[in-house]
Amino acid sequence: MNVGRRLTEYALIYKKIIIAALLMLSVSVAAELAGPFIAKKLIDDHILGIESTWYETVEGKEAVSYKGKWYKREQYFSEGETRKDDIRILQVGREFYFVPSTVSFDGERSVNSGEMTITKGDESAAYPAEKLTGEELLRFYNPEIPKIIKLIAFYFGLLVVAAFFQYGQRYYLQKAANRVIQKMRNDVFQHIQKLPIRYFDNLPAGKVVARITNDTEAIRDLYVTVLSTFFSSTIYIIGIYIALFILDAKLAAICLILIPILVVWTYLYRIYASKYNHIIRSKVSDINAMINESIQGMNIIQAFSREKKTNEEFEELNETHFKYQNKLLSLNSMTSHNLVGVLRNITFVAFIWYFGGASMGVGSVVTLGVLYAFVDYINRLFQPVTGIVNQLANLEQALVAGERVFRLLEETGTPVEDEKMSRYDGNVSFEHVFFGYKENEYVLKDITFTASKGETVALVGHTGSGKSSIMNLLFRFYDSNEGKILIDGKDIVDIPYQTIREHMGIVLQDPYLFTGTIASNVSLDDPRISRDQVEAALKAVGAEKVFKNLENGYDEPVIEKGSTLSSGQRQLISFARALAFNPAILILDEATSSIDTETEAVIQEAMEILKKGRTTFIIAHRLSTIKNSDQIIVLDRGEIVERGNHDELMKQKGRYYQMYQLQQGSQGDMAG
Amino acid sequence: MFSIFKKLSWFFIENWKRYTVAIVLLTIVGILDVIPPKLVGNAIDDIHLGAMTWEVVVKYLWLISGIALISYAMTYVWMYQLFGGAFLVERKLRGKFMGHLLKMTPTFFEKNRTGDLMARATNDLKAISVTAGFGVLTLIDSSVFMLTILFTMGFLISWKLTFAAILPLPIMAMLMKVYGARIHKRFTEAQDSFGDLNDKVLESIAGVRVIRAYVQERADEKRFADMTEDVYNKNIGVAKIDSLFEPTIKVLVGLSYLIGLGYGAYLVFHQSITLGELVSFNVYLGMLIWPMFAIGELINIMQRGNASLDRVQETLDYVQDVQDTENPKWIDSPEHIGFKEVDFQYPSSNVLNLSDINVNIQQGGTLGIVGKTGSGKTTLIKQLLREYPAGKGSLSIGGVPISDLTIQQVRDWIGYVPQDHVLFSRTVRENILFGRHDATEQDLEQAIELADFKKDLEMLPDGLTTLVGEKGVALSGGQKQRISIARALIKNPEILILDDSLSAVDAKTEAKIIDNIRKEREGKTTIITTHRLSAVQHADWIIVFEDGKVVEEGVHERLLENGGWYKEQFDRQQVEDSSREEVGA
Repeated sequence: MNVGRRLTEYALIYKKIIIAALLMLSVSVAAELAGPFIAKKLIDDHILGIESTWYETVEGKEAVSYKGKWYKREQYFSEGETRKDDIRILQVGREFYFVPSTVSFDGERSVNSGEMTITKGDESAAYPAEKLTGEELLRFYNPEIPKIIKLIAFYFGLLVVAAFFQYGQRYYLQKAANRVIQKMRNDVFQHIQKLPIRYFDNLPAGKVVARITNDTEAIRDLYVTVLSTFFSSTIYIIGIYIALFILDAKLAAICLILIPILVVWTYLYRIYASKYNHIIRSKVSDINAMINESIQGMNIIQAFSREKKTNEEFEELNETHFKYQNKLLSLNSMTSHNLVGVLRNITFVAFIWYFGGASMGVGSVVTLGVLYAFVDYINRLFQPVTGIVNQLANLEQALVAGERVFRLLEETGTPVEDEKMSRYDGNVSFEHVFFGYKENEYVLKDITFTASKGETVALVGHTGSGKSSIMNLLFRFYDSNEGKILIDGKDIVDIPYQTIREHMGIVLQDPYLFTGTIASNVSLDDPRISRDQVEAALKAVGAEKVFKNLENGYDEPVIEKGSTLSSGQRQLISFARALAFNPAILILDEATSSIDTETEAVIQEAMEILKKGRTTFIIAHRLSTIKNSDQIIVLDRGEIVERGNHDELMKQKGRYYQMYQLQQGSQGDMAG
Repeated sequence: MFSIFKKLSWFFIENWKRYTVAIVLLTIVGILDVIPPKLVGNAIDDIHLGAMTWEVVVKYLWLISGIALISYAMTYVWMYQLFGGAFLVERKLRGKFMGHLLKMTPTFFEKNRTGDLMARATNDLKAISVTAGFGVLTLIDSSVFMLTILFTMGFLISWKLTFAAILPLPIMAMLMKVYGARIHKRFTEAQDSFGDLNDKVLESIAGVRVIRAYVQERADEKRFADMTEDVYNKNIGVAKIDSLFEPTIKVLVGLSYLIGLGYGAYLVFHQSITLGELVSFNVYLGMLIWPMFAIGELINIMQRGNASLDRVQETLDYVQDVQDTENPKWIDSPEHIGFKEVDFQYPSSNVLNLSDINVNIQQGGTLGIVGKTGSGKTTLIKQLLREYPAGKGSLSIGGVPISDLTIQQVRDWIGYVPQDHVLFSRTVRENILFGRHDATEQDLEQAIELADFKKDLEMLPDGLTTLVGEKGVALSGGQKQRISIARALIKNPEILILDDSLSAVDAKTEAKIIDNIRKEREGKTTIITTHRLSAVQHADWIIVFEDGKVVEEGVHERLLENGGWYKEQFDRQQVEDSSREEVGA
């Protein structure tokens, strides 16, 4: 699986936004780069520039009058314009002096009674100098001021433009990143719906949650900071290399060695960082799972005083997470900008060694200017490099998180089908069905039976005899290994899951309630179920009396898993849910085990009416509750051992008879 | 605005050494890093002046290598210490968080959703951790470095110019405050919606069978998509402000720079500073850029950390609903359990869920509790487990009000088998040993025997070492219940509570288990709630609940004579079994 490619594919969905953002980034980078140049121009040309050469001229634009004569800076002369004698304005200390002659070299300046002495090394020269008053100096600066103001205004304008684009860049990148993550989450969630139930048997819910939320969250940085840093750093690096090549191709070529170093670095870094990141992410997932499980079992943990032990176990996870975070940190502290600093210093060392050594040979190889410029560029080159390596950690984290997300997306699933079929009659037949949750361990062997519309079929047998497995197959929560299951003569394997389940209803022993209200748990917010249907269903299962004390009636809030309700109340709601959907096949898996006999009786009565027009399967331990069934199937270790109605089976005096006797018998004992 | 550092002060104080080392080294490295380029500059000058000799070259090489090495080592240490602190605070808070959850009673879990709590323990702690690491770094950068540069500028060049140049700072401070407040608000919203999303996923996974069975996949996808849209919008809200930080600072820093240049030029013109000073000032201003950015970064990180810390703290500050008294009493054994005029109401309820309960259970006695679904049977049991703050009236054990005993003490006496069978993702063996971890093999075997789980064990793929729970094999309800019962029985508790915990086993097994319990628990108290009267017929006392009140009580025979609800139910259950005589004859 190529995680990088898939992450790119996701980014490509929002390529317009991303490209727009990167263009904005380019503009703002360009504007930013222009800034220092303007500042440099401002200082060099217009402030320091006063010390450049002036020529005497006639009155005019940019000319300055001093003691009756007019002067203009060399650079303001147009071609062919006549220039007279040159003069200089030079600063000594804070004071400025008018030097009415050519100055041949610059150096240390000093002024002594109208004479300026300039010393450079062994050379020295003296010039006549007149001190300028503040007002006089300002006159010499006057031509510069509008230019300075113009430049400042330009600079500021550029800044505002840069800021504007920078905002756009950051905002759009974040927008794209959030869209990508949203898309990824939706994709994973949709994929989850396609996975077989089997997948959830061995995977704690907390871990799935960590994949859908935490891992995707860890990818976000990739599309914001990592992407923009890599992009702008690459531009910078290319720019600097171009400058280096212009400066000195040979030196620049030597500096290219940095590129393979970076590649090897990234490669080596990933080997270790990837290992640590995998552990860290899987610990986050374990932590989530453990919190979830602990909350679900909190009453048990507390009732058995296992808080300390649980906490210790949690701390173990927490500690491992911490340990690997630190290992990763150690790796990052050894590499990242720290190592770039070392690289930079090594470059300096090589630089001094090379040029220092060379300078002792036959004259200088390169000019001083090139040397300075070179050092400056190398210094600059390491800034984007630092930027890139600092993002390696984020990149790696995103890759590992992405891998976890994509691995989940790669689990084979069956697409959710929207195809509907008209309500079938519900004639069910099993033909020589074999099934096992694990290979070669059949929990159902050669199951064959038929149930027709309007019939009630009871499945009886000891715990583990395979009753619930039959229901799992009928629902296509699992598929049989051998044999066929037909509904109205059609093999259910040929009908998509959703289509076949459309007309089935199930009430589980362990009903699951969602956050919402009692009513919303009956209708599941399905628009096809009207409020009247909800109320009718609840009434049919005798819920009226049970919930009569609730202030909001059927709109009473239900919290997570319905934990404020008793098991019996939850079963009632789940029962009403099944009825509201008016299924052709209704399955009751120990549906009334936690309901009192009185309410159960209400349900039984209702069932007499409700079972008309549908096929009903009942799994029950209490044989008394299934006596009226049209067909009773007795299962033992995955095989059908007896079948018939109650009276027939009693007459057979077989296993059913025995079970019945035992149940009654034991009750008799108890009573006696 | 800096309140997060105040709120985390306990941690910083606890780890002051770590942070002092980190900050000192960070500062030293900051200075050291400036030296090598300067040395290179000197070397170039030497080359220029023709003063370069091998000795000088070697001197430079040693100097730079030495500094590089020292700087590398120091950077390693400060990074490891500073960011290590970030991970440490994350670990500590997470430990605290879990420890706190373990003290919480059901009321808390009714108010806080699991997915959200999970988000707090992972996503929010991450944001806090960033504050304690990167946040501190930006704090140092924006304070220590900034002040150093400002003072250098002031002393070496001109205070007047320095102050002029930092004129935009107050504006920046003001804007940062505004942004900060917005980020805080929006980030809180974003984290909240992330928590909701977590919840949604958790519910969808836990309820996957219901969703599949009722073909609600599309509707669920739609709901999920709505939530991711909400998360997206909240995060875009954050991004809108977040993206403002850098440009704003950039403009203000630029403004500083321009004021420095403009006013600097003015000062040169007025002969207050030299041209050279202006150039150096310009260089210093350039050095100020990062610290100023650091301020923005700092505010951003702090506010996020603060928002997350508030969410975590909200959980940590939740006071236990049920607490031990200050001077708890100790008794040796729970000789007698007495409810006297006990009234109780759930925090979320409007009516009394238990009213005027008077029940006495002698040590060794068995109490049966029956009644309709939702009539208050489990509520009564929860009083003993102290899952909720006590209501009116008195509940005493061994003559001492239960509130004067420690929760621990009471729970140690009790072996509890709940309605919902909760098993953990471990082996069957570990799940049973959950009841008493120091139990012997013999105890284990006996508990399995008593709970009638032996024959099931043979059918499990790996016997006692079969993994169950979320990660393990799917057990039937009855099997889960019996493991639950074994877990309680291995504790050999003074008080055994079976809360409708035989509902999923067949009558034969039920009878067997009840029988075993009667025999084995001679002299110990047992409380059984059930819908099947057969499970309580043998009890020393049976109470019948209706709407939170005891409407009938007595022994089995007496209740039958009473001809009330009990008799009615008994008959109903008998009628259902009427064919017994016909066929059995």
